[in-house]
Amino acid sequence: MTKMNRRLLAAVLTVVSLIWLIPSWLLVVNAFTLSSEYSGTPSWWPTSFSLFDNVRTAFENANVGQGMLNSLLYSVVGAGAAVLIAALASFAVTIMPLKRPTLWFWVIYIGTILPLQAFLSPLFTGYAAASLFDTQYGMLLVYVALTIPFAFFVVRGHMSGLPNEVREAASLDGASWVRMFFQVHLPLSTSALMAAFVFQFTWIWNDLLFGLTLSSSSNIRPVMATLADLTGNYSTYGPPVALAGALVASLPTIIVFFSFQRFFARGLNPTA
Amino acid sequence: MTLTQPPVPQEAVVAEGGHSPTPVVPAPRGRRPHLAGAAFLAPAVVLVALLIALPFVFTIYRSFFDDNGFTRSWVGLDNYVAMFTDPAFGQSVLNTLFWVVGTLVLPVGLGLAIAVGTWKLRLGGLARFAVILPYAISGSATAVVWTFMLSTDGGLDTLLRLLGLDPLVSQWLLQWPLNTVMMIIATTWQATGACVILFLVGLQSIPPSTLEAAQLDGASGWRLFWAVTFPQLRPMTIVVVGISIVGSLKVFDQVLLLTNGGPGTASETLALTMYRETFTLSRYGAGAAVAVFLTVVVVAASWAYLRRQLRPASN
Repeated sequence: MTKMNRRLLAAVLTVVSLIWLIPSWLLVVNAFTLSSEYSGTPSWWPTSFSLFDNVRTAFENANVGQGMLNSLLYSVVGAGAAVLIAALASFAVTIMPLKRPTLWFWVIYIGTILPLQAFLSPLFTGYAAASLFDTQYGMLLVYVALTIPFAFFVVRGHMSGLPNEVREAASLDGASWVRMFFQVHLPLSTSALMAAFVFQFTWIWNDLLFGLTLSSSSNIRPVMATLADLTGNYSTYGPPVALAGALVASLPTIIVFFSFQRFFARGLNPTA
Repeated sequence: MTLTQPPVPQEAVVAEGGHSPTPVVPAPRGRRPHLAGAAFLAPAVVLVALLIALPFVFTIYRSFFDDNGFTRSWVGLDNYVAMFTDPAFGQSVLNTLFWVVGTLVLPVGLGLAIAVGTWKLRLGGLARFAVILPYAISGSATAVVWTFMLSTDGGLDTLLRLLGLDPLVSQWLLQWPLNTVMMIIATTWQATGACVILFLVGLQSIPPSTLEAAQLDGASGWRLFWAVTFPQLRPMTIVVVGISIVGSLKVFDQVLLLTNGGPGTASETLALTMYRETFTLSRYGAGAAVAVFLTVVVVAASWAYLRRQLRPASN
């Protein structure tokens, strides 16, 4: 690359980065603006340091705090359970002498192909009939089921790539399979398990559709649904509170995302 | 874009590169090996069958009924006929097409450009950080930010006035097709980071010797990109394009939060139409018909695209 080209590229990239940072900048600056002083138009520079007041309003009056606790429960327990269940199934289709492993692969994998809307409304009806609507069990159950297929896809891909010596199984009974799974294959799949967990944690945390449709009360609703209500309630609390809530609600995924980035990349690489 | 719904089975992609997974070694049989296998498989299969597959089958069934949640009567194909003759449905299909094309050009194209452009650059990491940061911001939070950006006298309008571009000040979310275009841009802001990450992963798996050899042969800049880098990125490009197409066909959150499909039903996508029919109007049968249509489109698109792209590289 010539020097000229290199400079041009650097200039273009600088401009692109700056444009990209504008919404993030506005988000932070206006989340710091005192709610009662909000003029109706966005400010470009911080005028006060009221972030914590805004966060407190969002937490106490708009249920963002409760929503975050709910989401934390669903994301950690739901993604954890889904990854474990997916690992069991992956072990069965890649290591155990199972009939028709490809058929079973598709039976589980179909869950990533169907659009969520294809089963949303019967799920809603079924939840109402089974008294699972607006319960923590119900939310956990649906999140586990929804995140199994992709976790299975990631972990299975990893397990089928394990060296042959590890994959060869001796004559085993049921109890030995369990021991082999927990002592050999699970530890060997840590990176894939972590990647699957991070993805599914993030997915559950960010889900809006199921939070909106399968829950209604504030001590069950996940935080994204709460935030959606807050956006609709602009008039009640004002943009600074909504932005402060959005900022805090993004922290867990930002932290998880950047601290687990290396697991991410490895677990998803289709060419590795 | 969500990364949790990839349309590509790993074996399909891997097979092309030649690293086909080693075949399962038949293990000597222990006591009732199949029973043990069933026990390992059962939790996943039962949950997926009960909470995903069974409700889906019921959606198909319900699409042939006039169903208001309390009473249900058989109407045959009436829901489908009504759907295809509804002008709002045509608008919804058109908007969904906008999304498919828009998210292919913007997040995927920009993601590729930024990944390749910053890959070998000092301080390139800074540019990547700026682009990847919004990807880590949650979906609803993105909508909050962009409602704020695009509302009348919001962030974008103030910025334009600041720059003296008053004539450009618009009601961004109140006119079609401007609102759909702006929502695609908002999504681009959030989703490009994911594409950058995936393309970077792809770039890192290109053997350095391949690039060095090409450079020794005098390839650089555009030629290097088209002749070497881009073809080497093919498996990852297939994955990214596939995720993007499938994701944009199902787009829901951003539209619900930014315009709620409005004004009227002008910016509705298929997922929104299904949601409105089902949950706002309680027309479960009509909603189910839209859901079935959406499913057929998603499955057909994944299949058509993958069938073409994953053909063995014999050319």
